[in-house]
Amino acid sequence: MGFLAPAFLLGLLALAVPVALHLVRRERRQTVPFPSLMFLRRVPLRSVRRQKIRHWLLLAVRCAALALLALAFARPVFDAGPVSASAPGVGATARVVLVDRSYSMGYGDRWERALAAARDAVEGFGSEDPASVVMFAEDAEASGALSRDRALLVSSLDSARLSFERTRFAPALKLAARMLEDSPLPRRELTIVSDFQRRGADGLDDVQLPRGTEVTWVDLSEAEAGNLGVTDLTLRRVYEQGRERVAVSARVVSQGTREGAPRDVPVTLELDGRDAQTVSVALAGNGSASASFEPVSLPQGTLRGAVRVAGDALPQDDVYRFVLSPSQELGVLVLERAEARPGQSLYLRRALAIGDRPRFRVSVERGAAPSAEQLARFRVVVLNDAPWPAGAAGRALGEFLRVGGGVVAALGPRAGLEGAELQGVTQGEVVDRSADWGGTLAHLDYDHPSLALFRSPRSGDFSQARFLRYRKLELASGSPLARFDDGSPALVEAALGSGRALIWASSLDTLWNDLPLQPVFLPFLHRLLTHAAGYEEQPVARRVRDVVALRPEQASWVGEAPSGARLEPGSGLIELRESGFYELRAPGGGPTETLAVNVDPAESDLTPVDPEELAGSLSRPAGETGVPSGLSSEEREDRQRLWWFVLAAALAALAADTGLSNRLSGEVR
Amino acid sequence: MSGSAGARFLDPAALARIDSLELLARSVVEGFVNGLHRSPYLGHSIDFAEHRAYMAGDDVRRVDWRLFARTDRYYVKEFEADSNANFMVLLDVSRSMRFASRGLSKLDYGRYLAACLTHFAKGQRDRVGLVTFDSDIVDFVPASAKHEDVVLHTLDRIGERGSGELRRPLAKAAEACRRRGIFVVISDFYEEPASVLAAVRQLAHRGSDVIAFHLLDPAEVHFPYDGSASYEDLESGERMPVMPEYVREQYRRLVAEHVATLERRLGESRIDYTLIETSTPLDEALFRYLMRRRRFDRVR
Repeated sequence: MGFLAPAFLLGLLALAVPVALHLVRRERRQTVPFPSLMFLRRVPLRSVRRQKIRHWLLLAVRCAALALLALAFARPVFDAGPVSASAPGVGATARVVLVDRSYSMGYGDRWERALAAARDAVEGFGSEDPASVVMFAEDAEASGALSRDRALLVSSLDSARLSFERTRFAPALKLAARMLEDSPLPRRELTIVSDFQRRGADGLDDVQLPRGTEVTWVDLSEAEAGNLGVTDLTLRRVYEQGRERVAVSARVVSQGTREGAPRDVPVTLELDGRDAQTVSVALAGNGSASASFEPVSLPQGTLRGAVRVAGDALPQDDVYRFVLSPSQELGVLVLERAEARPGQSLYLRRALAIGDRPRFRVSVERGAAPSAEQLARFRVVVLNDAPWPAGAAGRALGEFLRVGGGVVAALGPRAGLEGAELQGVTQGEVVDRSADWGGTLAHLDYDHPSLALFRSPRSGDFSQARFLRYRKLELASGSPLARFDDGSPALVEAALGSGRALIWASSLDTLWNDLPLQPVFLPFLHRLLTHAAGYEEQPVARRVRDVVALRPEQASWVGEAPSGARLEPGSGLIELRESGFYELRAPGGGPTETLAVNVDPAESDLTPVDPEELAGSLSRPAGETGVPSGLSSEEREDRQRLWWFVLAAALAALAADTGLSNRLSGEVR
Repeated sequence: MSGSAGARFLDPAALARIDSLELLARSVVEGFVNGLHRSPYLGHSIDFAEHRAYMAGDDVRRVDWRLFARTDRYYVKEFEADSNANFMVLLDVSRSMRFASRGLSKLDYGRYLAACLTHFAKGQRDRVGLVTFDSDIVDFVPASAKHEDVVLHTLDRIGERGSGELRRPLAKAAEACRRRGIFVVISDFYEEPASVLAAVRQLAHRGSDVIAFHLLDPAEVHFPYDGSASYEDLESGERMPVMPEYVREQYRRLVAEHVATLERRLGESRIDYTLIETSTPLDEALFRYLMRRRRFDRVR
């Protein structure tokens, strides 16, 4: 007999409760004041403290009730009977072989040894044993359902290739458990061929193999597997005499070796496939160092770069690839009224002069009516306390917005949205809060991309800014991105075509508020403009298994993986499964885009876990069982019907306890 | 106020029997009830003894001038002086004395006993005083012929007190009462016999008589409890789980040993010791004591 939910057997620990109550609670039920414990203290302790259980029958009934409850909830079942001799495959064993193909298996000859061990295992299977081979790294992939076709298994091993992914045992073990669980055979065996990296053993808590599964393993890890790797990269852009240069720093890590005296390790910076610089870093065992290179000039277009350490037994993590391109410049046109206050855009210009991700190219125009050609040179137009341009300029600005441009309107005393094609946003009268020392921003929508940066604590304090005046904004629908403390909208987003317009209900100088004096002003303004411009910073490097979403204009592009495989991302998504440079290009020789992809540095840590420990965590506790497979639902129900009777007995014991308690209580009174 | 306080303590029923006992006591007990132990010295008392001829050196204030007027001779009045002893009651008012398994606590019993004894002593023209103590002296009424009401009033207003200790307060009392007298100590003596003896012997200086009343509640002697419970020390607040059925015999034996040791060791130091359970009627307790005192006196 076994249990479906053996965890409930822990409820048997509750048996200690009635015993303790019978022993302890009686003792503390009353306190007797006594003049002095002088003589009682002299009585030997054993006699004083020893408690006597009275009402043995009541205690027994209570314990029985609790034990029966625990047993009932543990769902006792009868084991499946022995497989009848007439059943097919008597004496056969269901077998699954897990073969680790994470990139750490490329260390030395591990991969060859792994395949050889897997082949040996397959050849050792009995002819009646159904088996399957599961190749795994982050994901697991089976050769097929359990089958007696040995050729299929050998074929899957022959076609197996190392991946660029890290190790995760959990998905593979879950798949193997499910395959073995589905087998009607009582004997099951799982063979794991791996280097058993400790970092891959996360998430095994909810993995359990069917009862009786025998776990064997082939451990390919070495006692001391030293490994060098480049795990991270930092780019610092410097501007010298108007030229942009980039200083590259890389983090080099040594793992798996004994700590010892540092040794010099050459680290090379490659640019477009050629060695550009080589530096030497002193690297101790189980230590890390930073390799810094001299700034390099950037050519037009994209530059492929890589930082490489001298090759070791695991080459996949010896190189860190990246792409470099000149920093993007975001053109910002600031429109002021002809009679604008002096310094009205001072804070705006100063805030935009700082930063290189992206750099802002700011042009301030007074009383200008920009044409479509002028607007085309900018990504964002800021209406800084200026009305929406009238006439042709207004229409040009609307068209600019419609085709993907951005508009940020700061509503000062002279601003006006009349004539704007922004639907659903109406500008109201000025709210004067100078009588109550100014209003504050009371709500910000941190889920919005322009404000998400400020979500974390100490990531920008808007509460210090005081707003003496602001414009009342009315929204036809939707909700604002920010509100003042009186509930009126402070920041509103309106869309027109594919462009974005952000309307700020106060000024961007200190006329109506002191937000420009707050530290949060600069990042806030940057986020407003980059969001309005639809600017997204492209990462210089990505990791294997990242998914890249193509922009709408890239829908028809094709790609090429580092291995040369052709990619046709019909879904608009590309999953990066290889390490190296991916090339995306428009059909017919149009623009190209390069993606640098690196392996997960977590796999560089080759520290192994004890296979026995891993196997032990997969086994069900003794006595635990699963519902026998291969049974009809009626048979299954029959085998676990016992718990109803146990539950009924528990209820009967509880009723007896109640009656007995009442009777004994009456006697006491 | 003092009159009402005295009326409360002097239980008429008890005093009725004690009064009859007093006649017997007068004849057999000397020293305990003033007047029963005549002094070999003549002194200033109201009981006239005789006249004698004036001799050189006599105090001229003692000359009976009326007799001189009638006889033209100098005679000096002599009186039969009583002992005029100080009668001090030292009553333990620590928290352990609050214990009562029935209606009357040890402290109440001790107050009644102290009041009765004070009344007797006053009847014998002794100077009466009172000391109440816990770990230190709480109230001190100096011995005086006029202090009976004060003593009774002090006994009446004894309030909540702390934990008890004998040695320090009795040492202070001995220091304060330098004159020879009778000291009656009423306590439950929850200390080691050696400690009790050391404390009580401090009073027996300069030939004073010391009488120790050991007050115990019947529950303290017989431990009649049943059922496991936490027992809380009234003085320290300490609690202890006890199953009475397991400890009763050992407890009784220990208490009996304690009482026997106290009686023996105090007796060796010529200190009268009497164990009184609060279930004993007050007058009976006094009677037993006076009888005991008489036997002691015969031996002496």
